Amino acid sequence: MAEKFVSERNLRFLLYEVFDITSLLQYPYYAEHTPEVFDMILETALKIGRDMLYPHLEEMDKTPPEFVDGKVKVHPVVRIFMKECGQGGWISAMAPMEIGGQQLPNMIGLVPGFIFGAANYSASVYPGLTTGAAHLINSFGKKELIETYVPKMFAGEWQGTMALTEPQAGSSLADITTSAEPTDQGYYKIKGQKIFISASEHDGVENVIQLLLAKIKGSPPGLKGISLFVVPNKRINENGELVPNDVNVTGIYHKLGYKGCPINQLSLGENDDCRGYLVGQPNKGLAYMFQMMNEARIGVGIGATAIASAAYYAALEYAKERPQGRRLTSKDPTLPQISIIEHADVKRMLLFQRAIIEGSLSLLLQCSKYSDLEIVLEGEEKEKYSLLLDLLTPVAKSYPSEMGILSVSQALQCLGGYGYCDEFPLEQYYRDVRIHPIHEGTTGIHGLTLLGRGIIRKNGKAFQLYLENVQEVIRRAENDPELKPYGLELKDALKRLQEVTSHLIDVATKEGPDLFLADATLYLEFFGIIAIAWQWLLQALSVQKALKNKDGLSEADANFYQGKMYAFRYFFGYELPKIEGLAKRLTNGDGLTVEMKADLFSD
Amino acid sequence: MNTVVCMKQVPDTETLIKINAEGTGIVTEGVKWVMGPYDEYGVEEALQQKEKFKAGKVTIVSLGPDRAIEAIRTGLAMGADTAVHINDAAFYEKADPYATASALAAAIKDLEYDVIFCGKQAIDDDSGQVPAILGELLGLPVITQVIKLEVADDKSKATVTREVEGGHAIIDVPLPAILTAQKGLNEPRYASLPGIMKAKKKPVDVKTVADLGVSVEPMTVIKEMSLPPARQAGKIIEGEDAAEKAKALAKALHEEAKLI
Repeated sequence: MAEKFVSERNLRFLLYEVFDITSLLQYPYYAEHTPEVFDMILETALKIGRDMLYPHLEEMDKTPPEFVDGKVKVHPVVRIFMKECGQGGWISAMAPMEIGGQQLPNMIGLVPGFIFGAANYSASVYPGLTTGAAHLINSFGKKELIETYVPKMFAGEWQGTMALTEPQAGSSLADITTSAEPTDQGYYKIKGQKIFISASEHDGVENVIQLLLAKIKGSPPGLKGISLFVVPNKRINENGELVPNDVNVTGIYHKLGYKGCPINQLSLGENDDCRGYLVGQPNKGLAYMFQMMNEARIGVGIGATAIASAAYYAALEYAKERPQGRRLTSKDPTLPQISIIEHADVKRMLLFQRAIIEGSLSLLLQCSKYSDLEIVLEGEEKEKYSLLLDLLTPVAKSYPSEMGILSVSQALQCLGGYGYCDEFPLEQYYRDVRIHPIHEGTTGIHGLTLLGRGIIRKNGKAFQLYLENVQEVIRRAENDPELKPYGLELKDALKRLQEVTSHLIDVATKEGPDLFLADATLYLEFFGIIAIAWQWLLQALSVQKALKNKDGLSEADANFYQGKMYAFRYFFGYELPKIEGLAKRLTNGDGLTVEMKADLFSD
Repeated sequence: MNTVVCMKQVPDTETLIKINAEGTGIVTEGVKWVMGPYDEYGVEEALQQKEKFKAGKVTIVSLGPDRAIEAIRTGLAMGADTAVHINDAAFYEKADPYATASALAAAIKDLEYDVIFCGKQAIDDDSGQVPAILGELLGLPVITQVIKLEVADDKSKATVTREVEGGHAIIDVPLPAILTAQKGLNEPRYASLPGIMKAKKKPVDVKTVADLGVSVEPMTVIKEMSLPPARQAGKIIEGEDAAEKAKALAKALHEEAKLI
């Protein structure tokens, strides 16, 4: 296996040079931290990733969880890792200090998720889910609920999950049927079925806490009647002991990839003895759940980027070592072969991966910065960052997820036949990364969210703020002779974005939602490419700043910045032009997919 | 139980090492620095002993330039209580094992300790001499390659298992003593986030060699440093059958490799 799976240098570049994480230290909420603390977190996460998780990557794929006698047996490293994440404070890293967290900025909080995800995506999911679930209880639960569950979850002893999907209700959450019947004992009786619930039962922890959506009997139909419950697999009885709570695993799914973490089918209340504890107010469950889902969506973007990063380093190592072919100008077949990295097409594949991975990671850090600023600011400023985060979350989830697959595919391609075989981890990465456009909202759903909600929300306020942020970067680039042409290109792209968007809003008014949203997924793709171009230009500005002091740079740094400029130019030269084709389609408006009848798919 | 851990910051094993232009040392630019892996076993053992005795103090002592503070902070984040940083770049540059041990001895002599832990060797220069010289300077017994440690309840002595060729030697040693940590002694813990947060507030006593009253000169100098020669490409012995291949092999060993 390749020695490297993430770039520490790139993480430092993004954290310190592009997003200036130390600027957060001026706010009292983050004032306890120092750059040394951030450095040590980065170092320790790299060490845990390298020594604890990476060695088990293949093993967890080859020996997936087993379902025996109603119990789910997972790889032993899950227990060790969950314990480490509990004792080491990784699960509670971003939680406020008053409830036992470390109050870390989301920007640095993203780093362990990324490193662990690159080292071993399946393993990284267990603590990640627990963080989100504990945060949800903290945000909306009553004091008693928080005190009962959160400390155990922070300690890594109890797993957290999000239990939404049901056999008949996946993307369409309005159709869930799991029911909650109030009792006079302060709890609800839960009955129903949930499917595809990650880590919802396993032997790596003492207990699992489902954050579960259900409908209280008599509540309104549709999304307005959904409530959020804490449903533990084992509840605490009068004597303080853990006893079964009638949450039964009825099966585990056999998946394409990401096999180290089980997704289970659950049957709740088979014996009419499943107790659920309401979180917050009745019928507000979906709004609460969106907090966890939005965090999880950023988490999915990080996971996809992380797997693509690991695949890139595997491909890079191979490309440097594998001799194959000679230069096109070389006529002498007796000369030794050259490493494949010398071939332009292989360099193209490698640059493509860097352009995707480093662009995605930048957008994810941008979102994390918005999230940090939302926490520390007040009033209008707070709302501004909240709107920007909300607008960009579907993009930060979907672009890395969709493009991550193509990135890993190109990594696999670099290895040719070996990439297709399991002696190298590429085929596993290819399978592992495929989940991301599916879970936490499919790409289709995110297209609808962006175009149908994000863009038009508050009379387009978020979209306007976004345009201003991109324009600000363009203005900075225009003052740099080296970057000016790229600034102009992005300016054109942004103009296209505005044109296409107004066109579609016009369609919405004149033709209605069907035609307006028919190609929402393509709009998301179009929007995503421009957003990543914005992030690349932002990175290039930091590179140019560093290169001004060229003579003071070490050889390694000089190479890093030069490599960055090539990846930046690659994105603008090879990826950004793709928006033209998409713009053409998006403004066509012939309604082809709306018109096509289901009956016509007869062959 | 009070312990002192001698710790050296060394290049990470994954760092690509280059020799400097003068051929006297390595290029330090771009190197990733970490706590010496064997020293890390020492820190872990000190922490475990402190936890076992439910009392005492773990002090890290390190000789190194400014950057060494990063490895010191890692030790403090793992749980050590205080540290002495002998921050003297000029001295460190030239320091051989004798000079290093002299500086460490001067920093340690006034500290309270029952055991001094050292890594069995630093992984950069691999000399493995500092603990023995330190023992001589402080007048303490030294047990090397320790893989197990049991300290008597009254802390007057310890039973130590050390790795020897083909087996183990079990030794009783009066305390205080110097023990050098070998792989297998324990599994070093990772720094925790609360530990990292606390580490920045823990006291680090920064001293120069002059502050410590040390005026020794190194007794050895590095005359030349070079990378091992690149491995030659292998040769595949051709032949119709095993007998012919064996003949060709014998010939190659005799004529080319000049081994037989």
